[in-house]
Amino acid sequence: MKILIIEDEKELLSTIKNYLESENYICETADSFFAAEDSLSSFNYDIVLLDLTLPGGDGLDLIKLVRDMNKQAGLLILSARDSLDDKITGLDMGADDYITKPFHLAELNSRIRSLLRRRHFDLSNELMFNDIKINTDSGDVYIEGQKTELTRKEYDILVYMIVNHNRVITRDALAEHVWGDSISYADNFDFIYSHIKNLRKKIEHVNGKNYIHNIYGLGYKLTDE
Amino acid sequence: MRLIEKTGRAYFWISLSAFVVAGAIIYFALTYILRKTLNENLLSDIEAVKRNIAEKNIIPSYSPYIDVKEVAGSNKPGLEASDTLIFDQGEQESITFRQVSRLVSINGKNYLITAREALLEKSDLALTIAVVTGSVLIALLVIIFLVNRKLSLRLWKPFYRILDELKRFSFKSNEFRFSSAGDLEEFNELKYDLEILTGKILSDYQALKRFSEDASHEMQTPLAIIQSKLETLMQHADLDKEQYELINTAYSYTLKVSRLAQTLLLLTKISNDQFADKQMVNLSEILKEKISVLEDIFNDKQLMVMKDIEEGIKKETNTYLAESLVMNLLMNAFSHSSSYSTVGIVLDENELIISNTGLPFLSDPDKMFDRFFKEDKSSSSHGLGLSIVKEICSANRWKIRYQYENGRHNFIVTF
Repeated sequence: MKILIIEDEKELLSTIKNYLESENYICETADSFFAAEDSLSSFNYDIVLLDLTLPGGDGLDLIKLVRDMNKQAGLLILSARDSLDDKITGLDMGADDYITKPFHLAELNSRIRSLLRRRHFDLSNELMFNDIKINTDSGDVYIEGQKTELTRKEYDILVYMIVNHNRVITRDALAEHVWGDSISYADNFDFIYSHIKNLRKKIEHVNGKNYIHNIYGLGYKLTDE
Repeated sequence: MRLIEKTGRAYFWISLSAFVVAGAIIYFALTYILRKTLNENLLSDIEAVKRNIAEKNIIPSYSPYIDVKEVAGSNKPGLEASDTLIFDQGEQESITFRQVSRLVSINGKNYLITAREALLEKSDLALTIAVVTGSVLIALLVIIFLVNRKLSLRLWKPFYRILDELKRFSFKSNEFRFSSAGDLEEFNELKYDLEILTGKILSDYQALKRFSEDASHEMQTPLAIIQSKLETLMQHADLDKEQYELINTAYSYTLKVSRLAQTLLLLTKISNDQFADKQMVNLSEILKEKISVLEDIFNDKQLMVMKDIEEGIKKETNTYLAESLVMNLLMNAFSHSSSYSTVGIVLDENELIISNTGLPFLSDPDKMFDRFFKEDKSSSSHGLGLSIVKEICSANRWKIRYQYENGRHNFIVTF
């Protein structure tokens, strides 16, 4: 899968690039309006990450270009402009999703994954982690082939963790993903723990394995190590 | 006191004292002149009597006006003038007379001739003067008042217009202009200076607004970088507990600053009226949705939610602001209530009430809506939640008020 990252802030650009490369995506970068124009006119991408505030032009103009040149590409807008107007304009002009800076890399990864699934119907609708299998269309969860009932929140947590497996997921990122942006009003995310505990119990009950590890106050990590 | 009253009073006192002084002067001058003419008349009367006696040997007597007495002895001829009271039978009262007596010697006989003339009563004179000057004074004052009012209404018209326009001054507009101040130089100067002043205030205010917006905005990118670098760093496999904890501290404070910047940006945007697009928003739905988002947090603190939400309450507002208002009020109730207590939520056509238990507020309750106000300084909240609530309420022309009743803090939004 090939991703074009359009972002003028070099540090952010390199972090996103490294992160996505470690997820086995092929990444190209553009740090200005013109570089982005060049890349978009010359190559096809599966996903375009677009920062709206760019030197040399208005990022909104690039949305049109992406839609003209790369019809298949999933377009995700990254912007510090958290005004609703921009969000609505961007989505109206053909962007698929919108993520506001500062964002969690795990959240970016999760958005890219769901965007890919939405854009490419040939992609499998199954998420796998060892003996856990999730059908993302029906929402069914199988552990060692055995169908397991999860609550809505446990399901969301598990999907998010599988997409970001072997990575430390902070509690903030998890809370914002599962409970929505409004949850950032809370200054304490202890309540997540009871959901994690229940989820862990349900998995352990079937296969006796503890995949979800606590990472010293930071968050959790789904791993079989 | 209005200007016209003040000048009116000044005119009144000045005219009053002027008229009292003038009245007194007129009184004394009149009595002096009256006596002088009277004396002269009486003297000529005496001369006439004297001539009659000398030429015709008639001794006239018209009491009390003329009195002639023959006196013995050879007193030196002299003149004497005085006032005297004489009882008048007809009028049944004492009347003051001016009398002049002269001792004359005619044909070897001495006569004391006294001529009298009734004097105008002093009190009559004073009263007459008082009445005349008083009525002139009143007439003058009435004229001054009318002229003054008419004139000042006309003269001060531009001033009051400027004042009216100044009252309509708002930070919403980019420029503030006054209409013409007329042809008076003073008011033109006032208008000119006010225009400079309001222009300066507006441009300073704009700069301040731009500054807080830019500052919050510019913070977002560096914060995004720090956050993403920390998230990358925490993925390293060989970190130990202490390193995780260091990262965690740095990470959680980064998020805190980032939220603070976002909140400040939101506050600035609300006060800059950047949430102008309004539609009918279903508050009942928003409230129920936000309560369900917070269900887990509330359960974690063993908080009971007592809700009485009327269905289909719709208000014209901005969706984002309505969500933010509800969320901030709910989080405020959550953070300040003790475990195992109840949070009350009531919504009807007129009001939204969110309440929680807790000890009475120690400081001035008005302060709790101030930015960065925290009663408990050690609290981890940034103290902006209620200022946002207040800003949102004022942007929607709603009222927010606080009440402490039966051990509960009530926050009441009146639509």
